[in-house]
Amino acid sequence: MKGTGIWRRVGAAAVLAGAASMVLAGCAAKTPASTSGSGSAHLRVIMNVTPNLTVAFWNDLFSKYEKAHPGVTISLERTGTIQASDKLNQDLAAGDPPDIVQQVTPTAQTVKLFTDLSDQSWTKDTPLVDNYKINGKTYLVGAGQQVQSLVFYNKEAFQKAGLDASAITSVADLTDAMGKLKAAGYVPLQTAGQWVTGAQFTLFNDSTTMTQTPNWIKQRTEGKVKFSEGQYLDSLKTYQSWVEDGYLQKSDLGLAYADGQTNFLNGKSAMYMMGSFFVPAADQAKKSDQFGVFSMPTTGKYPTKQFSNIADSYVVVKQSKNQKAAIDFVKWLTTDKTAVTAELAADGNFRAGYSYKMSSLGDGVQKIVNASPGGFVEAADEQPLTGFSTELTSQIQSLISGTSAKQVAQNLDKWWDSQTQ
Amino acid sequence: MGLTDTVIADARSPRVQPGENAARRKRIRRLKETAVSLGMAGPAVALYSLLMVVPVLVAIYLSLTDWDGFSAADFIGIRNYLHLFTDTNTTHSMWVTLIVVVFGSAFEIGLGLAYALALRQKSRTNSVFRALAYYPHVISALILGFLWNAILGTNGAFNSLLASFGIKPVGFLFEQNLALISLIAVIVWAGFGFNVVLFVAALQTVPLELIEAAEIDGASRWQINRHIVIPMISPVVTVALILNLIGLLRVYDIVVSLTGGGPGGATQTYAFVILMQSFGGTKIGYANAQAVFLMIVSAALALLVTALRNRSDRAAGGEG
Repeated sequence: MKGTGIWRRVGAAAVLAGAASMVLAGCAAKTPASTSGSGSAHLRVIMNVTPNLTVAFWNDLFSKYEKAHPGVTISLERTGTIQASDKLNQDLAAGDPPDIVQQVTPTAQTVKLFTDLSDQSWTKDTPLVDNYKINGKTYLVGAGQQVQSLVFYNKEAFQKAGLDASAITSVADLTDAMGKLKAAGYVPLQTAGQWVTGAQFTLFNDSTTMTQTPNWIKQRTEGKVKFSEGQYLDSLKTYQSWVEDGYLQKSDLGLAYADGQTNFLNGKSAMYMMGSFFVPAADQAKKSDQFGVFSMPTTGKYPTKQFSNIADSYVVVKQSKNQKAAIDFVKWLTTDKTAVTAELAADGNFRAGYSYKMSSLGDGVQKIVNASPGGFVEAADEQPLTGFSTELTSQIQSLISGTSAKQVAQNLDKWWDSQTQ
Repeated sequence: MGLTDTVIADARSPRVQPGENAARRKRIRRLKETAVSLGMAGPAVALYSLLMVVPVLVAIYLSLTDWDGFSAADFIGIRNYLHLFTDTNTTHSMWVTLIVVVFGSAFEIGLGLAYALALRQKSRTNSVFRALAYYPHVISALILGFLWNAILGTNGAFNSLLASFGIKPVGFLFEQNLALISLIAVIVWAGFGFNVVLFVAALQTVPLELIEAAEIDGASRWQINRHIVIPMISPVVTVALILNLIGLLRVYDIVVSLTGGGPGGATQTYAFVILMQSFGGTKIGYANAQAVFLMIVSAALALLVTALRNRSDRAAGGEG
């Protein structure tokens, strides 16, 4: 019968499919599982690959650990075009958690994903560890410290404009210097589109605002301060005046981060607000000696506390089946002299007690760190709302495009309040 | 049942049995046919449900929660949907998307139609031009964005050329209004070729006799296109319009690589905000509400266009 034939074939197909899935399941079950001891384990590590921290760099670092710890193998999980945090989300959603993730900052909401490292005594000697504690517990440890609030300058431009970088300590001095640089034929301050626009304003504003009011972000969350009043508004007004005076180029908004940096490296602009990660970029371009650096001027005390963040930071994923091995590896990454020095040197980061061969520009940053009365971070309670950096970038781009400082501040308040409703 | 009844029933049964058997066989055959149909359609229906219906239902459920991707999802009713209209980023992106959809679809359809009408005759040259029009459509939109960024950016090819003559850069990507115009222009350039292919195919179905008759009656080229050709291919135009509208409502990849949503959020489309800010910011519940809203708007637009088209057809039929 025709129908019976079809059913026979359907039944056979179902049996085949079932058998195939059982075989596949069997194969999957036979895949060697990672062992849980530190003696023998395979660790999967999500790392951000950047122009400084290349795949080759990570693999070289891993091989040093593998040689010293027979039985432990480490594989680099590349993130492709996405951030490490997004890759982590994907892996967790797929039920395939990695063991360690680099450059993911836990928040009160995400902390449950990570292993509590508070009982690990070695963590207390790692940089900025206390600043990143959540509810008094340690989840994130790092190898170094990235210094953010820096102004790099072109020595030749300063010479032509008759400027002494060491004399620029206040915002008024900085504005005055921009005028002289413009008169000398330079674009005074380099900016760019993408995230750079918002980040540079943060570096500029926070050096004053966060020094004057160390818990400003917490206060904003509680509604005690606003963007549209006080120091924050003053910073926006200063920025607006720079735009109006032509010290910041509106056309720079059409530049990618790398293009803006290239403009500065090629001497098209005189100053560049950026973090210490500019140093290895200048080193690679073999132009470090052409540039100098000074700490961000403020409207108050100088030098200010350095706006910093933990660098080469790691979390152990709670779902990892290799907890002991993962913690041991993170300990090595953040305390072993060779590993730490390699990480610091690769990304131009700093840490008290650790040194590596630096360029003159790196030495300049080290001197700023040494002279600084301390650091502040934007993490834990002082972490802005999720999405704030994107919103700030958008608003600062609007400011550069002609929106008034007051309107931008009001927009930021409106956005912040809309996110906390 | 008494003995008499049983006897009567037994006596009747041989008389009705042939009819019952035939009916039973018919029922069994129908059941088998239904079972075979279900067996054949079943896998497709199951796959469709698994890949389309279930995700949509999950998205609708998540849109009613505050899920952040990590914690347990708490049911919050329609709060995410209300937030759509108070969130300044989302409302702004709705306006940007509206502009992109209106101007993008108008130009994609208009240019596509004009191009197809100009190239409807079969010739080698026309084939080359048709291929050229379609060419951008086969390249990833992300790549096209990077390509045009390299042309229109401040340090791009065009502005570098201007700079060599001492002319200030044109703000294709850094002036807010111009950036939006640039975005729409690139979208149209990338997308109108698809419409050209659709319209050229549709134009081949227009009977030549009608056009020749109109020409004999002294109709101009414009009159022929306006009153004969375009009405005859209008079902295809409707399909193209719906595809364009839905495609432009979801435009994302070109934005990422061309403008990154800037400057100052001037080119942040609705889909860009969903993917870059809401999903990126682990606001999964809210992102799902945004996505569900987009799905509803897309469906409503498609239905509206189809309804308008049907009404116009009925009106034309009535006139006739």
